[in-house]
Amino acid sequence: MSSQNQNAQIIYLRERNFIMLKKDLMMRNPLRAVSDENGYILPEGGLGAVVARAGVGKTALLVQLSLNSLLKGDKALHISLGDPVRKVSLWYKEVFNNIGIQYQIEKIDDLWNELLPQRFIMTFNIDGFSVPRLDERLTELADQNIFIPQMILIDGLPFNKEMKRTDLHALKELSEKFNSHIWFTVRSHRHEEPDSDGMPIQIADFSDLLDVVIKLEPQESDIKLNVLKGSGSISSQDLSLDPATMLIKE
Amino acid sequence: MSIEMNKIRNIGISAHIDSGKTTLTERILFYTQRIHAIHDVKGKDGVGATMDSMELEKERGITIASAATFCEWDNHEINIIDTPGHVDFTIEVERSLRVLDGAILVLCSVGGVQSQSITVDQQMKRYKVPCIAFVNKCDRSGANPERVVEQLREKLGHNAIAMQIPIGLEAEHEGVVDLTTMKAIYFDGDNGDILRVEEIPAELLESAELKREELIEQASNYCDELAEAFLEESEISAEMILSAMRKGVLKRAVTPVYMGSAYKNKGVQPLLDASVALLPDPSEVSNTALDLDNEEAPIELGTDSSEPTVALAFKLEDGQYGQLTYIRVYQGTLAKGDTLINTRNGRKIKIGRLVRMHSSQMEDIEKIPAGYIGALFGIDCASGDTFADPKLNYSMTSMFVPNPVISLAIIPKDNKAQINMSKALNRFSKEDPTFRTFVDDETNETIIEGMGELHLEVYVERMRREYNAEVTTGQPRVAYRETITKRAEFNYTHKKQTGGSGQFGRVAGYMEPFSEGEFEFINKITGGSIPTQFISSCEKGFKAGLEKGALMEFPVTGIRVEINDGAAHTVDSSEMAFQAAARGAFQEAYKKAKPVIHEPIMKVVIETPTEFQGTVMGTINQRRGTILGAQEEGPMCVVESQVPLAEMFGYSTILRSSTQGKAQFTMEFANYRQVPQSITEELQKKKAEEGKGAA
Repeated sequence: MSSQNQNAQIIYLRERNFIMLKKDLMMRNPLRAVSDENGYILPEGGLGAVVARAGVGKTALLVQLSLNSLLKGDKALHISLGDPVRKVSLWYKEVFNNIGIQYQIEKIDDLWNELLPQRFIMTFNIDGFSVPRLDERLTELADQNIFIPQMILIDGLPFNKEMKRTDLHALKELSEKFNSHIWFTVRSHRHEEPDSDGMPIQIADFSDLLDVVIKLEPQESDIKLNVLKGSGSISSQDLSLDPATMLIKE
Repeated sequence: MSIEMNKIRNIGISAHIDSGKTTLTERILFYTQRIHAIHDVKGKDGVGATMDSMELEKERGITIASAATFCEWDNHEINIIDTPGHVDFTIEVERSLRVLDGAILVLCSVGGVQSQSITVDQQMKRYKVPCIAFVNKCDRSGANPERVVEQLREKLGHNAIAMQIPIGLEAEHEGVVDLTTMKAIYFDGDNGDILRVEEIPAELLESAELKREELIEQASNYCDELAEAFLEESEISAEMILSAMRKGVLKRAVTPVYMGSAYKNKGVQPLLDASVALLPDPSEVSNTALDLDNEEAPIELGTDSSEPTVALAFKLEDGQYGQLTYIRVYQGTLAKGDTLINTRNGRKIKIGRLVRMHSSQMEDIEKIPAGYIGALFGIDCASGDTFADPKLNYSMTSMFVPNPVISLAIIPKDNKAQINMSKALNRFSKEDPTFRTFVDDETNETIIEGMGELHLEVYVERMRREYNAEVTTGQPRVAYRETITKRAEFNYTHKKQTGGSGQFGRVAGYMEPFSEGEFEFINKITGGSIPTQFISSCEKGFKAGLEKGALMEFPVTGIRVEINDGAAHTVDSSEMAFQAAARGAFQEAYKKAKPVIHEPIMKVVIETPTEFQGTVMGTINQRRGTILGAQEEGPMCVVESQVPLAEMFGYSTILRSSTQGKAQFTMEFANYRQVPQSITEELQKKKAEEGKGAA
């Protein structure tokens, strides 16, 4: 009798605990389709680039990649070159709230408080940033066991003439050292022609060091995620960003 | 008092602690001949700066209470509100900003825009106070006013533009070049009171011309004539630039930056000229009141002295002759012998003695016209009260008052101290809405509550010094709260039928978490199962349950109660019976509703040299803190974090000792969050021990 009762019990959405909520969100996450069985898009120690023109949604995509790893229970370090901490936090809050609305989660604030300690924002002035400097900071955080990221996101890395192959090598080494995945944004320009492989000119010289390259391209009603480089499932998926909420949709 | 409105300036001097605003005010008062000798903040002559009138302020070198003082410059009357610099006293800062028309934002040329400047700036934004900036301490080593201008743009988002360039910096700081007149100004004499105007030194001429061009380009955005003159490359006068800049300042579209060193008597007079030339007069600022007869609809106030009077009491002080109330008159005139209404309680007040304050000295006056700041004697009121003509029922916008987050038990040393203490507490709670006091029913101790450790500490000190009340203090306590996490049903019957008249009442319904407020009571009784006259008793009973949660006896918040069934007895049911039934129902459901403890979380922003970044983050980590981010800017780094208040006691000492005194932090209330299980257990254990101790 009692077991029957239990079977008949209704589980209210609000009473589901955070673990279930997180699982639920991950299940519904369109990024799942392009990830491996552990939920990663990049291999360990890998590098990924998000390329787009200004204002198309690089940061929004980066934040969603980050949130995806936070929901998995991983720690994410978000580095912004130029924007203050407050502005980056706002991006997260905005994207997360939109997710909450889209999937009708009531306890979004509590879930957010739960995820907060897994995220760390670091900002640098563009001239103040260098890979050795980042390495120094990260080592310091790791030594004190304050924060060891599984995912590093770098927003606003300047891909100009001064960017050298050695810099990317250093970044890759850093990624390997911390067993993490690094995503960064690359800003392209409207007037530039891609190279013969279709790679944006900014990263054409380094594309062999990158594991995944996603280009955001505005089309009629939405923004398409065009996978320029990548293996397996990621290249075959048809994903885009909803321009109203900047969320990924299938 | 026959001066026209456009000759009045009500300004505040707002800044980071230790950026030298009290010194600056002191110099302003000296040059405007309100005082005849200069005393320094931590001066050796034992007098202390004039604006820091409280003994405690003099000793600590900080400004706590915002004294209002008035002075004259260039045929203008300037009322200066000295604002406190420490974040624990922000209610004081906000209240002074409310009565200001313009402000001088003082910044240190070495430290630049610091975390506290950001808080102060946000407050100015909230009250839309137009401002000009003064980069002080140009004589210090490491002075770099240009960098501060940059920071004003980047960190605070001000459209900052330099109005001057310094002649020499650090030890060689001699004066400034005025970019509007293109003249060099030197400050001679022992007290820098003799201005020597000369041609610009040759080596500075090129950069001055460049900067002037930038200034004019910026200023021409606000004035078409200037823009035309600029394009036609015709002669541009200093007046044209200033009048264009003034338009920009009034719109808060631009922040002109002046520079100098108040301590070395450099650059203060040009700053006074600028305050007069660029900051608004009272008629140029719109002020709104709330019409209490019309659902608090906002009403624009006029600035005419002949209209019905509206005035705001913004600061109280205890003087030799009783309570001194600082007021600003927004509309009409406040004259001796007038009868006004205090719109908070509807009480009539008769205006007796009116004075104009100069820190601790005062001057008797006959009336205070619109736009003016003055003080009155012998009025019993709280700060924030509005005095209005009996025809009007207006209240000045009520200010946002946060709930206290920390409390402290105080015990008077003897009977005399007891009497003095209650006098002091009465005064403090009137002066400062964030300071509260009550007597704990159980322990019979007097408890004071406030916004931070230092906030309460200062009041305890003031009690001792100003009221001669010696008190000992208990451990500071954090204002924990309890709330429920799930819905729970109740069905409780209160029945008593032994001797005398019986008591009977049954209430049924449920309680559930409620995030939009502290408490909501919903009556869904149909068919009169509980008679209407007992519904309010039920609500009362539930409210009584909120006072102390069953978990740890902390106040309960965030609960919605719905009653949908019940029963009454024609003879035995009474208000008391239903109150008791509701209390019982609350207890019954509360335990089932999975109660948890919430604690106040503070937003802590630490500014530290980069080399201590790791150490600082370590201290946050040890305190159950969450680091939100780290922002690197040149040699300094700003760490933003959220830390439970309970872990922040004594943090300033720890931070100082672990960073060689080079880091500083600000702290403000962020939100309430659930206490982790392990900490809850610790709290319960501590509580149990205390209980044993008491028994």
